[in-house]
Parts: sequence; structure tokens; C-alpha cells
Amino acid sequence: MASLALTTINEQLLKSIGVGIAILRFKDAKFVFHNAAFTEWFGDPTTSDTVKEAMETLRDQALDSFRETGRFQGEIQIKPRRRTLVISLNLYLTEMESEKMIVAECQNITRMRELEQMIDSYSNMVERNTRQLEREKERVEKLLLNLMPRTVYEEYKTFGVVTPQLYREVSVLMLDFVGFTDFTEKNDPTVTLGELNDIFTAFDRISEQFGVERIKTIGDAYLAVSGMPEAAPDHATAVANCAVRFLRYLERRNQSHRFQWEARIGLGSGAAVGSVVGVQKYVYDVFGPAVNMAARLQVFAHPMKIVAPIDMKFDLIDGFQVDEIGSYDIKGLGSLELINVEGNLSLARGG
Amino acid sequence: MSSTFQKYGGFSAVSRVVMTFYEMVLDNDLVGHHFDNVDMPRLMDHQTKFVSALMGGPSAMNDERLAFVHRDLAITREEFDEIVLLLTDAMSQHGMEQADIHNVKKSFEEKRALIQKAAV
Repeated sequence: MASLALTTINEQLLKSIGVGIAILRFKDAKFVFHNAAFTEWFGDPTTSDTVKEAMETLRDQALDSFRETGRFQGEIQIKPRRRTLVISLNLYLTEMESEKMIVAECQNITRMRELEQMIDSYSNMVERNTRQLEREKERVEKLLLNLMPRTVYEEYKTFGVVTPQLYREVSVLMLDFVGFTDFTEKNDPTVTLGELNDIFTAFDRISEQFGVERIKTIGDAYLAVSGMPEAAPDHATAVANCAVRFLRYLERRNQSHRFQWEARIGLGSGAAVGSVVGVQKYVYDVFGPAVNMAARLQVFAHPMKIVAPIDMKFDLIDGFQVDEIGSYDIKGLGSLELINVEGNLSLARGG
Repeated sequence: MSSTFQKYGGFSAVSRVVMTFYEMVLDNDLVGHHFDNVDMPRLMDHQTKFVSALMGGPSAMNDERLAFVHRDLAITREEFDEIVLLLTDAMSQHGMEQADIHNVKKSFEEKRALIQKAAV
């Protein structure tokens, strides 16, 4: 009695679940059972063209699969109304009352397929957006690296702020062109800019070669430092090397270019503070005694000469031609013993 | 500023609205025939992006493309109106507020000229 009830329940269950179930005899493929879900998708299996077609298409594949594993998995697309449904098909062999049977289990996976496609499409979109952001980030990084040294940028990126730092031992180079204002008045701005770009780009390359950091250009003035943000024991020779080569570059350039440029260079040594200045418009800047000194001495220098305080003599004497030029009263700095720095290039030139 | 798109939870919410919307569209006798031989998963994907764009989401919808894909469909004013109704219905079924539904409808209405066949 109990087993009969169970059979009835099982039968009811099979009929009502959302999975399509059909049972057919293996020997002649006759349907002996199908539930409501199955009929909803395929119609009555004894008369349905869909079922007939599917059986013809899948027969060989299914038989091969039965021989190997006793089951078969496949997919069928059907279109009971407007919508194409994707039905996953699971066939397996079983025995009922010593008769070999095939149980067909069908599930509607249309929605799953739609979701899969959507997920693919969105992940592509997200990836595309990510790549775009990545590129944008690189662009911003490149821009910021023009405004501040890399170590400062790293600090800024990590902490969102840059702590002003005092560097006790740095050397500063300040260069300014002779007659620049005059030049800007007489020439087209495009020409002026072209000249500045060309020359400053060359200066940047030279600076980089000696590990000197260009801090900024103010109009025609070029400010570079060595010894910050990373300490450099040879900061004095580094800026002097740049200074000598800046002038040599201008000399060479003047031989072949339409416009002649002369520059004055002042060197300074001592302490300086480096920091990002500004909240909205940040720029990395340096200030302090060493910067002041370079700026003052640059004004004092004759065209195509490099002037430095005597404090730097000891550091420079081995690599450069250093001449003491006496004591001068420099605005804001008082009386200062000064030196003139030139490259040891006369020997190399054979003169 | 937070968009309608963000307010309701982004793509996952929009995709639910779109699924409901197409269930209704496919059962609808006035507009259903337009979808007889359509690759539905692809269309639903496009539609999700379209509705997201109408809600101020991150996907962009190119007007030219919109006009191009509808150019041969001869969609009438009544059919467009019906689609608007079904979309409205789908949005309210998923609990969107009237004001937000109104805004989406307004944005959708702006695209009418691109989708509906002129002078039919």
C-alpha cells in the first residue's frame, strides 16, 4: 500500500516538475512516458516533428556515446513560439522490467545562455574601460613626472601629500639668456618658443646624463639641482659638468644656427627645501640659500661664463679650470669670494 | 551626481528589467512579430546597454547606429507607443519610482525619431 502511494507521488512529481522527462524503449525508440514540461516544449512526442528531427540528428552521436559511457549529453534549439529556447538534453540508459530504456531529461537553459552572453559582454566592457583608465593614468603620471621628480611623485601617490624636506647639501644651477627680452620683442612668439624648446630639450638631456634634476624654467631661466630629492655626494661637480656643457652646446649651436644665444650661469651650494607647492595647481619647487645664491651669481656672471662661490672650489678643482675672481658684494648675500668655472676642455681641443 | 542607473544597482538591476520587458514583448501581439527571427541573447545585451544609457549609466548609445538597426523594420507609432508601455510596466514591476520611470520614458521618447518609421 505504502509503495503504491510512493509510486503515485513519484509519478505526480515527474509530471509536474519543470524538468522535461521522457522515457523511450531502446529497441524501437517508442515513447512510453513524457511529462507536461516535455510536451510544453516539444509537443506530443509521437506526432512532434521537432522530436522526430532531433532524434534523426542525434541518433548516431547518441548511440556512439551510449556504447562508450552509457549516457549522452547534448543541446537542442527549439522555437515553440517566437522565442528560441535552448534545451540541454541528458540521455541515459536504464532497465525497466528487464527492458532496456532511455531516459531523456531536458532542461531549459535559455536564460542561463542569455545571462552568460550578458556577462561576457559586460566583462568586455569593463575590461575596455579598465584599459582606458589605465592609459589615462599613465598619461597623468607622465604629466606629473614633468612637474616633480619621481621619488617625490611616489610619495605624493602613496600619501596624497608631499612633506617639505630640507636638503643640507645640494648644488644649484641657474641659467639665463642674454638679451632674451629683446629677442622676444623682435621675433614671432612661435620662433621664440621653438628656440627655447630646442635648447631646453638639449639641456634636459645633458642634465639627465649627470643625474641633475631640472626643477623648472621661468621664461628663459633654467633652474636645475643636484643632491635632491636623492642625495648625491658629487652634487657640485654634477651641476658644474652641466653648466660647462650647456655653454659648450650653445657655442656649437651658434655656429650653425640663425639665432645666436649667450647665457649666464650662476652656481650655488648649500641647503635648499624641496616641496610640492600649491593645492590645486601643484608644482614641485625648491627654495633656500643655495637657490638664492645661484640666482644672484647668475645675474653677476658675464655672458657665457659660469660663476660660483668659493666654497665650491674644493669640489671642482680637480675636474674644472677654476679661477678666483675676488670678493664682491652680492645683493642679499653680502661680500662673497667668487670663482669662475670653465671646463678642462682646452686640452681636448688641442689649444 | 548619482544616476538612476546607480540608484537601482547598475547592470544587474537593468538586466532584470530588460528580461521582464522581453518576456512581455514576445507575448505581445502588436509588437511581438518584430522579434520573430532575432538573436535574443544579443538583443537583450544591447537593450540592457541601451536602457542603462537612458538611466545615465556608463554605456554609450550611438544614435546613428540606433537608426541604422531599425531602418528596415517599419516600426509604427502605435508599436513604439506599445513598447514604451511595456518598458514602463517592466520598470514598475521591478519597483522603480514613478519619477525615475518618467525620466527614462522621456529619454526614450527623444529617440523616437530614430526608431519609428517617419510618416507611417
